[in-house]
Amino acid sequence: MNAAVTYTEEELIQLLKGQSRQAFNYLYTNYAPALYGVIYKILEDEQTSQDVLQDVFVKIWNNIAQYNSDKGRLYTWLLNIARNSAIDKTRSKGEIMKSKIQTGENVVHNLEQTSKTEVSTDTIGLRKMVNQLKPEYASIIDLAYFNGYTIEEISKALNIPSGTVKTRMRSAMGQLREIYAVK
Amino acid sequence: MNTKEYIESGNLEAYALGSLPPNEAREVAEMLSASAELRDELALIEKTMLMFALSSAPELPSDFAEKIWQETGGITNQKGSTNGGNINKTIPIQPDHYKQPSAWKYAASWVALAGSIAINVMLWNSKNKTESQNITMLEKLDTLQEKQQQLTSLIDGYQKAKNMMADTAMKTIVMHTMQKGHPMAATLYWSQEKAEAYVSVDGLPTPPPGMQYQLWAIQDGKPVDMGVLPNSMANTPNIKKVDMRVISGEAFAISLEKEGGSPVPTMQNIYVMGKA
Repeated sequence: MNAAVTYTEEELIQLLKGQSRQAFNYLYTNYAPALYGVIYKILEDEQTSQDVLQDVFVKIWNNIAQYNSDKGRLYTWLLNIARNSAIDKTRSKGEIMKSKIQTGENVVHNLEQTSKTEVSTDTIGLRKMVNQLKPEYASIIDLAYFNGYTIEEISKALNIPSGTVKTRMRSAMGQLREIYAVK
Repeated sequence: MNTKEYIESGNLEAYALGSLPPNEAREVAEMLSASAELRDELALIEKTMLMFALSSAPELPSDFAEKIWQETGGITNQKGSTNGGNINKTIPIQPDHYKQPSAWKYAASWVALAGSIAINVMLWNSKNKTESQNITMLEKLDTLQEKQQQLTSLIDGYQKAKNMMADTAMKTIVMHTMQKGHPMAATLYWSQEKAEAYVSVDGLPTPPPGMQYQLWAIQDGKPVDMGVLPNSMANTPNIKKVDMRVISGEAFAISLEKEGGSPVPTMQNIYVMGKA
């Protein structure tokens, strides 16, 4: 997030459509680490995640002309490509999509387990804080952000009304916002 | 709904996460284009999402950007050079040393052309065939995976049931039909000690649209709401934990109610009942 120039979303999209190195650098600096985070969260393997991230970037680069703001925010569009590619990778490995049949409880459990096994010295403190997310918030963020569940699917999986899903998303994101001191 | 209430609704978060159905996403996009306050809020939500994802991963190698650029740039450059090469090249139509080709050369080139076309058609056909075979295989694979998932959840259901039966503190209450001429049954597993109960409705038909089963505990002669049951459970061995703590109950019953449940059971719609 330390690029010297910042662009508005519209400017960036225009720039990207020109496919310059400058546009690539900006896209990479601002989005690659986060997309890598999403992919890593799904695949939990550095090498495979880097391979997928590379494919994702090539895909983004070749399809940027088809993007328009009707498809939502740029990051949401990028996130979709990254998430789908990572989930496809778990399928191609012959793994069943366990998450699709997981209950809410399991998801929270897995979230905790995952964060126990990942060791990265500088983020341990931060991760501890994220683990303080209430379980009902953590499971919703996990399902929506990393599993790509729709509101309706979450509502069914956790057996709560879709309005409640949304307000919990709001509260969860509010807690994260405090943790990361986003202003 | 004013702007503040709209922000509190969580619609912006759902939009940024890509979790909304297309029609709702369009509504949010319209709201966003009309309000700077909403756009600012969305920017903060996105920043939070980026930070959260960032903290989930190890660091990328420092030369990784270059590696990807080669991969993407390589593709665009190649395209560029072949196109560029063709545009400006002048091809001489008839060179100086041009000679009238002999008749057998014409014949040979026609034969070669016909042969090449035939081979191309053959290759094209076999490619199409392979492609359609590929698609069929992928579809089959999808169906298989789906079936496997269904089986896994089925086994999961049986497993849960088995574990519950093995719990000696668990009481099994079979609820029998209350509707003459319609044999139906459901089962409740109740551990009074833990105040926990599980319910299975594999002996009940799938409810009609807009209706849902609701579980009742009869306490001191009065029915007490124990929550509605997902329609997907009917006719399957799935077992669901009862949402409420079940401390007491002389009997348990399941009635068919409108979707979302009713405050009191509809008497003529009580399908099954069983004494504890």
